[in-house]
Amino acid sequence: MTASVQPDGTRPRGRLGYRPSGRLTEFQLLVAPALMTIVGLLTIYLAPRSDLLWSWGDLWVSLVYAGMIAGISLAFSLFRFRADQLILPIVATLAGLGLLVIQRLQPDLAALDDNLAGLASRQIIYMTAGLVFMVALALFPPLLPLLRRYKYTALVLSLALLAVTFVFGVEVGGARLWLYLGPIQIQPSEIVKVTLIVFLAGYLDEKRDLLTGGWQIGAVTLPPLPWLLPLGLMWGASIATVIVLNDLGSGLLFFSIFLVMLYAATGRGWYVIVGLASFAVACVVLYQFFGRIAIRVQNWLDPFVDPYGGGYQQVQSDYAISSGGLFGTGLGLGQPWFVSQVHTDYVFAAYGEELGLLGTLAIVALYLFLVLRAFIIALNADDTFDRLVAIGIGATIGVQTLIILGGVVRLIPLTGITLPFVSYGGSSLLTNFVLIGLLLNISNRSNRRPRT
Amino acid sequence: MPRSIRLFALLLSAGLISGALVFGSDLTDARWLAVLGLAWVLLLVALWVPIPATVPAERRTVIRTAATITASFVALSVQLLRLQVVRGEANAERVAVSPEGEPISNPRRVNLGLDIRRGQIRSADGELLAGTEAIDEGWGRTYPQPAAASVLGYYSPLQFGVAGIEQAFDAELTGEETDNPLLELRDDVLHRTRAGNDVVLTIDFTLQRVASDAMAGRPGAVVLVELATGRVLAMVSNPAPDPAAIFAANYDQTDASAAYWAELIERADNPLVVRSTLGLYTPGSIFKVVTASAAIDQGLAEPQSMYLDDGVLEIAGRQIVENNRPDDSIINWSLEDSLAWSLNVVYAQVGLDVGADTLRDYADDFGFGAEIPFPTAVAQSQLEGQDGFLDSPPALAETAFGQGQLLVTPLHMVLVAAGVANGGRLMRPQILDRVVAPDGQVLRETAPEEWRTAMSEDSAATVADMMRHAVEIGVASGAYVDGLAVGGKTGTAEVAAEEPHAWFIGFAGTFADPAPRHAIAVVLENGGTGSIEVAREILVAAGER
Repeated sequence: MTASVQPDGTRPRGRLGYRPSGRLTEFQLLVAPALMTIVGLLTIYLAPRSDLLWSWGDLWVSLVYAGMIAGISLAFSLFRFRADQLILPIVATLAGLGLLVIQRLQPDLAALDDNLAGLASRQIIYMTAGLVFMVALALFPPLLPLLRRYKYTALVLSLALLAVTFVFGVEVGGARLWLYLGPIQIQPSEIVKVTLIVFLAGYLDEKRDLLTGGWQIGAVTLPPLPWLLPLGLMWGASIATVIVLNDLGSGLLFFSIFLVMLYAATGRGWYVIVGLASFAVACVVLYQFFGRIAIRVQNWLDPFVDPYGGGYQQVQSDYAISSGGLFGTGLGLGQPWFVSQVHTDYVFAAYGEELGLLGTLAIVALYLFLVLRAFIIALNADDTFDRLVAIGIGATIGVQTLIILGGVVRLIPLTGITLPFVSYGGSSLLTNFVLIGLLLNISNRSNRRPRT
Repeated sequence: MPRSIRLFALLLSAGLISGALVFGSDLTDARWLAVLGLAWVLLLVALWVPIPATVPAERRTVIRTAATITASFVALSVQLLRLQVVRGEANAERVAVSPEGEPISNPRRVNLGLDIRRGQIRSADGELLAGTEAIDEGWGRTYPQPAAASVLGYYSPLQFGVAGIEQAFDAELTGEETDNPLLELRDDVLHRTRAGNDVVLTIDFTLQRVASDAMAGRPGAVVLVELATGRVLAMVSNPAPDPAAIFAANYDQTDASAAYWAELIERADNPLVVRSTLGLYTPGSIFKVVTASAAIDQGLAEPQSMYLDDGVLEIAGRQIVENNRPDDSIINWSLEDSLAWSLNVVYAQVGLDVGADTLRDYADDFGFGAEIPFPTAVAQSQLEGQDGFLDSPPALAETAFGQGQLLVTPLHMVLVAAGVANGGRLMRPQILDRVVAPDGQVLRETAPEEWRTAMSEDSAATVADMMRHAVEIGVASGAYVDGLAVGGKTGTAEVAAEEPHAWFIGFAGTFADPAPRHAIAVVLENGGTGSIEVAREILVAAGER
C-alpha cells in the first residue's frame, strides 16, 4: 500500500477515506437500509397472511428506525461531523437486519415460550438506547484523551466486572454470564470488551518502547517484563473466564483482542504465535478435563453422532442453513424455530434458511467491510492511542463475528457469543454501539485535524 | 512475499477450494476442514503484500491484521457456499439414527411435504390409484384400489419416508421437478410452492385387478408386459403392505401407523420386500428357454435334434436323474419335446454342448447380471454366484436346466419371455406413461426403447414356436386356451426342505390376432403348482382386450 506523495511533500489525508464535504454520501447510502427495513417488515407482516391488507401502522417499528437513522445522519451534518461516511450505513444495515429477524422470530418463539413474547419491543428500546450512546460518544470531542487518562480505571473496571460475575453471576444455559440488578440484567463480559480495549490501548501505547526491548541473557532475548506481565494477566483472566464463567466465547475473544493489539503495538509476530500456542495448550488441557468442551469438538466435526443429545442444536442449525440453498425460503417463509437459541447465538441460522447463500454472503461481506473500514480509520489516525483503539474495535467486531459465525457453520467449534448488532440482547447491542461511537469519534478527530 | 509467489499461492488456493468443492462433495467434514485450512494459509500468503520499509511498523501491523481477517472471512464464505449450495440438498435431506435408535431428519421436509397437494397416481385406463384429499389441516393420501397397492409402495412423510413408485416419482408428485428449468428458477426466486403433478402409470387397472384376484393373496409375484413396448400392464407382489395404513396425515395418527409398521417388520414373510422387482428366486426349468436360445442361435441344435435320455446322466461322477419323462419306455427325445416335457437330462446335455462361455454370453445378452433400467430398484439376476462356477461340467449341466446358482427376479423373467416373442429384442420395461401438470399439460411421456438384443430374429421365432409347442402338448398345457396363441414354459424351482417355487413364463396374442402381444411371468412361492392357472386367467383377460 504505497501512498502517492503530493508535490509539496505531504501525503494526502484521507486518501483511503472520503474527503468530508457535508454528509451526502452517508445520507444516500442510508436509503438502502431504510428501504430494507421497511420492505422487509412488510414482507414479514404479509408472509403468513393470505390477504394483502396492511397499513403504515403495522410498520411503525421500521419507520421509527429509518427516521432515527436519518435523524442521526442529519445531526452529524449539522454538527459538521467529519467521521467516515460508510460506518453508519453499514451498521444501520446490520442493526436493521437484527431488528427484522427479531420481529420475524417473535411470534414463532412466543408460541414456544411465553418468556420470549416481548423480544421485539425490548430490542427496539435497546437499539434506541444504543444509538443515543453512539451519537453522544461520537460527538464528544475530549472523549479519547479522557479515556487515555483513565486507562487503569478501565483495567480495574474490567477485572471488577469479571470478579463480580464470578461471585454474583447467574447461570443461564450452563454459562455464568448474567448479573441481575433489580429488573435489569446485564452481561458484564460485553462491557468488558470496551474497557479492555481502552486499557490495552493506553497501556501498550505508553509502554511501546519498553515492549520492543528485552533482556539479553546469553544468546537469548527474553521478552520484557511489561510484556510478560499483561500477557500473564490476560491469559489468566481469559482462562478464568472459560473455567469459572463457563464462557468459552468471551475468553477466546478477550485473548484475541489482546493478541491483535499487542501485535499492532509492537509489530512482533511471534508474540502472537507464542500467545496463541499457549492458549491452544490450555484449551487442549481443558479438553481433557471438561466433557463440555469435548462435546463441542464432537459437534463441530459431526453433530449427527448424538443428534438428540449434545448435537441437537447444531443438527437443527445445519438443517436450517442448508435448507436455505441459494435463494433461501424468503423472509418469513422458513421454519427457523426448530433451532434453539435462534434469536441469540444461532440467529445466523435463521438468515441462512430464509435469505439463502446470497443473503448470508451479503451479511458476511457487510461485517468484513465494517472491519476493514475500522482498520482504514486506524491507518488514517495520527494519534497512536487512537489508532490502537480503532484497531481494537475492528479486531473485536471481526473476531467476534468469526467466532460465532465460524461456530454456527462448523468452521471451528462453537463457542457461544452474540453476533454483533444482530443477536437479541441489550448488553451486546449497547456495547457494540458504544464501540461504533468510539470509532466515529476517532475518525472525526483525524479528519478534522489540520493538514500539514 | 514476491508477486510471483503470491500469484501462485492465490491460484493454488482457488484451485484447492474449487477442486474440493466440485470433486470432494463426499469428503468428511474433518477432511474438508483440513483442505480449507490449507487454502486459508495459501490465501494468507497471497495477501501478504510487500510493504515498503518506509511504512512505520504500527501501520504495517494494521495491514497484516486486515489481511488475516480478510482471509478468514473468505474461508467463512467458502464454508457457507459448501454448506448451503454444494452440499445443501444432501445436508438438508440427511437422515441419521441416534445411538438410542431414534431416526432424525430435517423437520422442514416433513412440513413441506404436508403443505403440498401431492399429485395423483392413475392407471393408464384412468383409474385413481393414489389420491390426495383435503383434510382439516393439510392433505391426506388415499389409496382407493387395494389391488394396485403393491405397485405403489408407500408415502409416510412423518415417519417412514417414501418407497416404490411414490418414491421414484416423488419429485414429479411434489412438483419439485418440472420440464422447464426456467420456471423452476422463477419459482425458486419468487419462493412459490409448486403444485404437485399427476403421474399416469402404464398399468391397465382391469388387468391389474384380474392379476390380483388370480393370485388370491398367495405369496409370489406376477408381471404382465406389452412385449413390443415394454409397458408393464399389471404387476402384483404378495404379501404387500397396505399404504393406507402406513400413511399418517398428522401426529394423532402416527401411533396407529407405527403399530402397523412394527407388525410389518415382525412378520416372517417380509411384506416390505417387493417380490416383483426385488424378489430373487431360483428359476428352475424356465431357464431352459435361455439354454435353448443359446443352442439354436449358435446353430448347435434344432427343434428336431435328438438327444438320449434313459433316465439318468452321469457327469464327472455326478448323477442327474430324470423324473419328467411322460413315457419311460422312450429314450430318444427331440429338443422341442424335451422343452415341452421339461427333460433335465436332455437340457444338461444341451448346456454341455453350448459350453460355459457361450452360455455366459447369452445370459448376459438376456440381462443376467445387468442393472435393469426401471424407476424403482430392481435386483440383479445372477447366472453364477462365484466366478468360474460354470467351468465345472456338473455345475454347467445343472445351470442349463435351471438349478445351480441361478437367481432371478419376476420382472427380469417377463423380459426374457417378451424378448423371445419379440424377435429376440428385449424392450426396456416402462411403468411411467406420462406426467401431467395440474393444468393438464403433459410434461413428460415415455417412448418405447430397446434395451438389448438376445439373439437373431429367426432363432427367436424358433424358440417361440417351441414354447407354443410346450403349451400344446407338454407340462404347460394347462395354459392352453382355445383361440388364443399361447406359448410358455413352466418351472419348478427346488428350494431346500420346502415346497418348490412354481414358475410360469410365457406370451400370448389376442383373440383377434394370434401374433404375440403380451408376455407374463408368474411365481408362486413354495406353491408347488398353480402358476399356470394364474397365467392363463390373466392372458385370457388380456387377450380379450
